[in-house]
Amino acid sequence: MTEVLSEQMGRGSHGGALLEVDNLHVEFRTRAGVAKAVNGVTYSVDAGETLAVLGESGSGKSVTAQTIMGILDMPPGKVTGGEIRFRGVDLLKLPEDQRRKIRGEGISMVFQDALSALNPVFPVGWQIAEMFRMHRGTSRAEARKKAVELMDRVRIPAARERVNDFPHQFSGGMRQRIMIAMAIALDPEILIADEPTTALDVTVQAQIMGLLAELQRDSNMGLILITHDLGVVADVADKIAVMYGGRIVENALVHELYKNPAHPYSKGLLESIPRVDHKGQELYAIKGLPPNLLEMPTGCAFHPRCPYRRDNCVTDVPPLYTISGTRGSACHYWREVIDEGER
Amino acid sequence: MSDPTATQDLIKGADDPAASPVAVRDSQRSLWRDTWDILKRRKIFWISLVLLILFLLMAAFPSLFTHKDPEYATLSKSMELPSAEAWFGYDLQGRDVWARTIYGARTSIIVGVLATLATVVLGGLTGVLAAYFGRWIDAVVSRVGEMFLGLPYVLGAIIILGTIAPAQSNPSKFTIMTVVIVVLALLGWPILMRIARSAVIQAKHQDYVQAARALGAGPMRIIFRHLLPNSLAPILVYATITIGSFIGAEATLSLLGIGLRSPVISWGIAIADHKDYLRTGPHAMFFPAGFLSLCVLTFVMLGEAVRDALDPKLR
Amino acid sequence: MGRYAIRRLLQLVPVVLGTTFIINYMVWQLPGDPFAGRCGQRPCPDSYVTAMREQFGLDQPILLQYGNFLKNLLTGNMGTDFNGVSVASQLGDAWPITIRLALMAVAFEAVIGIGAGVLSGLKRGGFLDNVVTISTLFLLSLPIFVTGFLLQWLLGVRLGIITPTVPDEATVVQLIVPALVLASLNMAFTSRLTRTSIVENLRSDYVRTAVAKGLTNRRVVGIHLLRNSLIPVLTFLGTEVGSLMSGAIITEGIFNIHGIGGLLWTAINRQDYTVVVPVATLLVLVYLIANLLVDLLYGVLDPRIRYE
Repeated sequence: MTEVLSEQMGRGSHGGALLEVDNLHVEFRTRAGVAKAVNGVTYSVDAGETLAVLGESGSGKSVTAQTIMGILDMPPGKVTGGEIRFRGVDLLKLPEDQRRKIRGEGISMVFQDALSALNPVFPVGWQIAEMFRMHRGTSRAEARKKAVELMDRVRIPAARERVNDFPHQFSGGMRQRIMIAMAIALDPEILIADEPTTALDVTVQAQIMGLLAELQRDSNMGLILITHDLGVVADVADKIAVMYGGRIVENALVHELYKNPAHPYSKGLLESIPRVDHKGQELYAIKGLPPNLLEMPTGCAFHPRCPYRRDNCVTDVPPLYTISGTRGSACHYWREVIDEGER
Repeated sequence: MSDPTATQDLIKGADDPAASPVAVRDSQRSLWRDTWDILKRRKIFWISLVLLILFLLMAAFPSLFTHKDPEYATLSKSMELPSAEAWFGYDLQGRDVWARTIYGARTSIIVGVLATLATVVLGGLTGVLAAYFGRWIDAVVSRVGEMFLGLPYVLGAIIILGTIAPAQSNPSKFTIMTVVIVVLALLGWPILMRIARSAVIQAKHQDYVQAARALGAGPMRIIFRHLLPNSLAPILVYATITIGSFIGAEATLSLLGIGLRSPVISWGIAIADHKDYLRTGPHAMFFPAGFLSLCVLTFVMLGEAVRDALDPKLR
Repeated sequence: MGRYAIRRLLQLVPVVLGTTFIINYMVWQLPGDPFAGRCGQRPCPDSYVTAMREQFGLDQPILLQYGNFLKNLLTGNMGTDFNGVSVASQLGDAWPITIRLALMAVAFEAVIGIGAGVLSGLKRGGFLDNVVTISTLFLLSLPIFVTGFLLQWLLGVRLGIITPTVPDEATVVQLIVPALVLASLNMAFTSRLTRTSIVENLRSDYVRTAVAKGLTNRRVVGIHLLRNSLIPVLTFLGTEVGSLMSGAIITEGIFNIHGIGGLLWTAINRQDYTVVVPVATLLVLVYLIANLLVDLLYGVLDPRIRYE
């Protein structure tokens, strides 16, 4: 990162976490109306930490991530409130050219479908080397060398021979590794992985998650893992933020959530995981459908599907109640949910 | 973990009408209804529709637009400029240009429409069959198509028309028109074959086709009931635009002298007859040329409007 | 890449054989007198008939005759017109100016077409976009001769900016308007195709990735976007060599340019098929070979094709 920026962002001088999303609001203006994709999301990641952001499609998890990166299409998207602080500096207030410098160097992102996310007409080595050539002015030869090194680091066999191959010549898992190599090339401080394993086989999933964990340990970067798959989260994450209808409905340390969720939605998610000891019984699923972002329900967004619903759930939007230093739940009756779980 | 009371509540919650969280979009609307909704909002669609109706009226009922006889020649009036009496002036033979332009619409449009129809039938059929039966039928049809595609249309027309029907003595109007229509269809079918083929190949892999097959439907039924209706859209768009380009093509062939000839009246012939008189009497050529261009524009605009409306990516 | 090239070459052979066979059959083998109506308004002179019979072996069985036809074609022997003037020599005189015209037309198509397409695609819905859309619609609908006559009349006859016809030793400047006319249709199509390609590619994931990598806008558009978007456009330009030839016939005819197109134009108008048929056949072959080259170019541009 440039001198000016790093000075501005003196490590730790602001007293907060490395990356803080604070009460973020993002809307989409469409012909059919205004879709409220993100409604007051707050979470943070520090160096060496892994935050898992969990939610279904439409929960706002990807939109939040893209807003952090600054790659959201605006229009039709629009940030209508909140801050995103990276090393204490609000990214949303930075001019575009400064924000651009942070992308790839400070905060980096890995996408879900590597086949479409990689440029099909350039060799993979070239695409990785581009990071060095463009951000650091490295020479072609030197950048290529680094690209091979990175490909080795993410365990792509025969890296030196394959550096000139094209994306479509690799398998899905290999392509994802290439994307990861590209993302960590400049040693970013935060890596956002948006559903990195959703498009992959289960065995490959495990390998990729293992790779991410290892890379994180080596470089002490903060990792935001966006997923809808609870299974993936358990091994890797330190803390979880569960999103629904553009809001965080629960955040907790991983073991806290898995042991006893504090929100009916999280509870529903956990109960939906098929269990071997429930063989022969009907599979459980949360009834109903995710909310329509154009016409959000009044009050708590989950109330139409919630078994704990009371009258005030329909009228009062629940804030994120603090349960402890590490836990919060956006449910008026979180105590009931926890108590029931303990029985 | 599954508490019976919680489960009961969940079921109750599902039945509760207030619990239906989403105004569930009616996703059952058909492609055509959606397309019509988009179409009717676009100016260009209505403009081209109005023009189309005008031209069709011109072709069907030329007497609505003029009382003059397009064949009636007064040599003394040759190449007279437009006046109150003759809005478009007179042509080389002293015939009323306005009348000839109006009457020319019929031939030009008929040739365009029939040639397109022949192309659609020939190309559509071969494309569907090639796509449905695949393998060697597909290989043969595709190669033959490539051979015809190997002839850029003017060159192809020159070769075909030049070798098959050189100046026959006094052929009838009907023969002349048929030859031109056949030639245009022969040169145009490969493209339509490709469109139909790719549309059918896509449709072939859809689940509903597999389902129909599993239920015992024979090839004919599958082709006509399932594949064709779903492949219709791109064919329709291309056909509309093709009518326009064939009308232009007919004019080009007439210009070269290998297309329609007298006694047929068409825009192309009017233009061809006067191409050497640009300096002295441009009116005799430009008015028919103007109508020709407007007519082609109409079909192209219409086809494009429909295509844009059908394109899901532009919604 | 090599294997791809060889495959394409092999695929070309049957098509060429098939097309030339069809042409040969239509020209010489259809029932009836092959010389009827070939020499304008009068019957062909006997000397010509005998010469052609001998040269093309018309009395031999079909396959032998076809073989002869091919041989003649490949050795550049295209017979003579009915006045005895060698067709090949006429072609030799005519092709330089046509090449010049064609190159200029391709340059116009590419530069103006792609330029307009990129600009209107990047700023979709803007003023420029609307202007380009409407003007391309017009250019696409007008048959090439309408554009040609219009410009000839407007600029040549009415405004006197250019000479209505082009002299034989034409300078590049004098060829500008004819080249523009020749390019008009393809220019419009290219601009639309480019625009569509850019609009589609703007939405793609790899563009999002490029932005996420922190690359400048200029690089994202200029390198990542353009490289992908231009693939269909460049291949289109290549495949349109055929329409350039067809268009040249008319354009050269209108502006009285003595190129290959003009040669054909005059011959057609005179119904001299002794010239028309060999020249047209040659042009068809050129078209087929150009298509092959374009396919190969496509393989170079889009690495995904090479490994099919």
